[in-house]
Amino acid sequence: MIGIARLGTYFPRRRMDRALIGNAWGGKASGTRTVAAIDEDAFTMGVEAVAACVGDSPPPDVGALYFASTSAPYLEKQIASMVATAADLPREIATADFAGSVRAGLGALRAALDGVGAGSLRAALVVAADCRLAEPGGELEPQLGDGAAAALVGRHEVVAELVTAASVSEEFTYTWRTDEQRYVQVADARFGNQYGVQHDVPDAVGAALRKAELPASKVARLAVALPDPRAAAAVARKAGLNPETQLVPSLLSDAGVLGAAEPLILLSRALEGLQPGDFVVVAGYGEGADAFVFRATHALLAHPPRPVAQALAGGIPIASYERYLRARGVLPLDVGGELVPTYIEWKELKQDTRLWGSRCTACGLVQYPQEVVCMGCHAAGKTVEHKLRREGTVFTFTIDNLAQVPEHPMPMVVAELDDGGRIYLQGTDCAEGDIAVGSRVRLTYRRLHQAGGNRNYYWKVRPA
Amino acid sequence: MKDKVAVIGVGCTKFGERYERGYEELICDAAFAAYEDAGIDPSLIEAAYFGAYMPGPHGGKSAVSLADALKIYGKPITRVENYCATGTDAFRNACLAVASGVYDVVLVLGAEKLKDRGGRGLPRFGHPLLARGNTAPGLFALGATRYMHTFGCGRETLAKVAVKNHWNGARNEKAHLRQEITVEQVLKAPMIASPFGLFDCCPTTDGAAAAIVCRADMAKQWRKPPVWVKGAALAVETGRPFFDPTFDYLGFRSTVKAAQAAYAMAECGPKDISFADVHDCFTWTEISNIEDLGFYEKGQGWRAVEAGETALGGKIPINTSGGLKSFGHPIGASGVRMIYECVTQLRGECGERQVKNARLGMAHNVGGPGAVACVVILGNA
Repeated sequence: MIGIARLGTYFPRRRMDRALIGNAWGGKASGTRTVAAIDEDAFTMGVEAVAACVGDSPPPDVGALYFASTSAPYLEKQIASMVATAADLPREIATADFAGSVRAGLGALRAALDGVGAGSLRAALVVAADCRLAEPGGELEPQLGDGAAAALVGRHEVVAELVTAASVSEEFTYTWRTDEQRYVQVADARFGNQYGVQHDVPDAVGAALRKAELPASKVARLAVALPDPRAAAAVARKAGLNPETQLVPSLLSDAGVLGAAEPLILLSRALEGLQPGDFVVVAGYGEGADAFVFRATHALLAHPPRPVAQALAGGIPIASYERYLRARGVLPLDVGGELVPTYIEWKELKQDTRLWGSRCTACGLVQYPQEVVCMGCHAAGKTVEHKLRREGTVFTFTIDNLAQVPEHPMPMVVAELDDGGRIYLQGTDCAEGDIAVGSRVRLTYRRLHQAGGNRNYYWKVRPA
Repeated sequence: MKDKVAVIGVGCTKFGERYERGYEELICDAAFAAYEDAGIDPSLIEAAYFGAYMPGPHGGKSAVSLADALKIYGKPITRVENYCATGTDAFRNACLAVASGVYDVVLVLGAEKLKDRGGRGLPRFGHPLLARGNTAPGLFALGATRYMHTFGCGRETLAKVAVKNHWNGARNEKAHLRQEITVEQVLKAPMIASPFGLFDCCPTTDGAAAAIVCRADMAKQWRKPPVWVKGAALAVETGRPFFDPTFDYLGFRSTVKAAQAAYAMAECGPKDISFADVHDCFTWTEISNIEDLGFYEKGQGWRAVEAGETALGGKIPINTSGGLKSFGHPIGASGVRMIYECVTQLRGECGERQVKNARLGMAHNVGGPGAVACVVILGNA
């Protein structure tokens, strides 16, 4: 059996009431959208999604990690490898980035399923994340949302077994961004839907169902990632399904259009409450379409993905539209600070990114950063490398207004990590009162600062 | 060390925003004042110790600024930089140089022009990733948060330290901030790094201070009565207490160790100290210090503040100068400025701020936070 063993979804904690956009530009968009924090991007959200999917210790048989996004923070630098390192996956792993359209998430999923199916991989992680930027005041701005998802693909404890996959691919200009453009561009939406989406997606869904010899009426749920819920309903009808009963509801009102991550997030939502044997179809669009038929297994009852509504809970509202613009870098902010030299990054990769400290074999004290001489018993040369837990409890903290960081107030937290080690990190995604002595925190890999023409990433804490 | 070295002259500039006076000019002002105080010919200076955290625009990370300002050439000048203990550590090194018998007369000078650097607070140094986002108030605030959580004192108690030190500083013409303040003002001030508001923090200050030390047996030939060096000790602890799983964040081990060593040298204990200028970079730091220095049990210092025992005329007057809080804190100058306060108190020259029957005075710096601490004990008999 080949399929998806685990699914994890991640949403940034910031929420923008679409009324803020309406206040700024006019118009009456409703609901809220997720907004990546100033220290988040598609890469860091991908790291969070991996943790949501497999925890902090990914299964040892993962042989590949594929990362999909249309809004990666680098045009040239492989994000999949960066995610794999922050997730502390072994070096001996294949990685690749998928990009170019929001269909990239399904392309990565297909590559992983094919690799496991062909036997070249025992298991693979598919990570999809997007925080696409829309032109301020443009029609896309209220629609887009930020989010990420990860899927563990393999043969063991599969919760959604792959039945069939089908694709169509053909050039069509609907959504794009050239290498010189910052904001996602959209052509005539009505034309694009009618002649692009409604042409390709039903074809792919129909082909996948035919291969599976599955009548549309037997499909429990269709998860189709499209910018417009009406377009999704039209796809469902064209494929012979009832949108009222079979279509997975869109996340538009609570999160937004989630780019490359959306098909996986909708798939996770589709699996909620399914019984073993139920069929799910997931599909997405972009210069063609991909569709997959999955069948829920008995393992789904034992390992159901965390409900999407739970992942979405606990948002912090953004106070103003201007703060949103700043968070997404549209309002530029010069922050001083030095570039992390590539030499230090290389030397300290295990300490700084994989987050390994030391453990003293003489007294057992777990400590960070890595030490030659133990902090506790001062034994020399008795320390060994030790992987730190990424959760802990606040020992002490301050809420700082002075540090040279883009957003204040900023918590600085000394946390005692579960199973040992004490660490001192910036806090992020904190609402007032979230950080207190004794409160629980979770480590999150974020953008620390930007300097010297590069981005520097490191761990922070967020409320657990 | 005890009674082998004497302080024969001290000088201190007006502390504050000294945009109008250059770095080397401040050095000259402090040095000339010390020469005048001792009534000594500058050519008798055989060596110098220069405390400077970030030297001025011409000198770089060396002792050259002091040499060029005063034109002391061809002599050994050592620049000392040891976080906030820079000034007292420069003084300690000068005392060791005299006590060793190699030099008879040595100049100690601390100088800092923080305002010329622009911005607020101190520039950040250190690892590009680890502990990034730390600030001086933020680092000490970690201790304050833990202390308040453990011992149950509130921001009002911290505020009383600021009120007391401003009261003292208002009566000190060389101090940077000379206005008296109220607890309410402290509590209403903008937050800098919780639990510290603006008035819980020392200001960013320019200034310089100097002291001349000499061999004890030649100390009585100068203009003013000598003040004797009883003890001077430095202790270095971890500079990354935030990573140390064994650290309780209730005080600073470096201060405890330096104080123990200084008391042993001076053959005295906390009860013998008449007054102390301690490192009140932030209000809570003073509370921690008076415990770490042995004046109070751990967890009891805040009650002493509440009871007014640390005010002028109290059981142990703390920071009669106004402290870093009111006098200002130009890093390298601060410790030497504390020596200036101790010497003038022990000579009975402090007027309205004078501690009655002062016999032993203490100067204390802690920096890092907690990484380095230096304790100096001086006496007038």
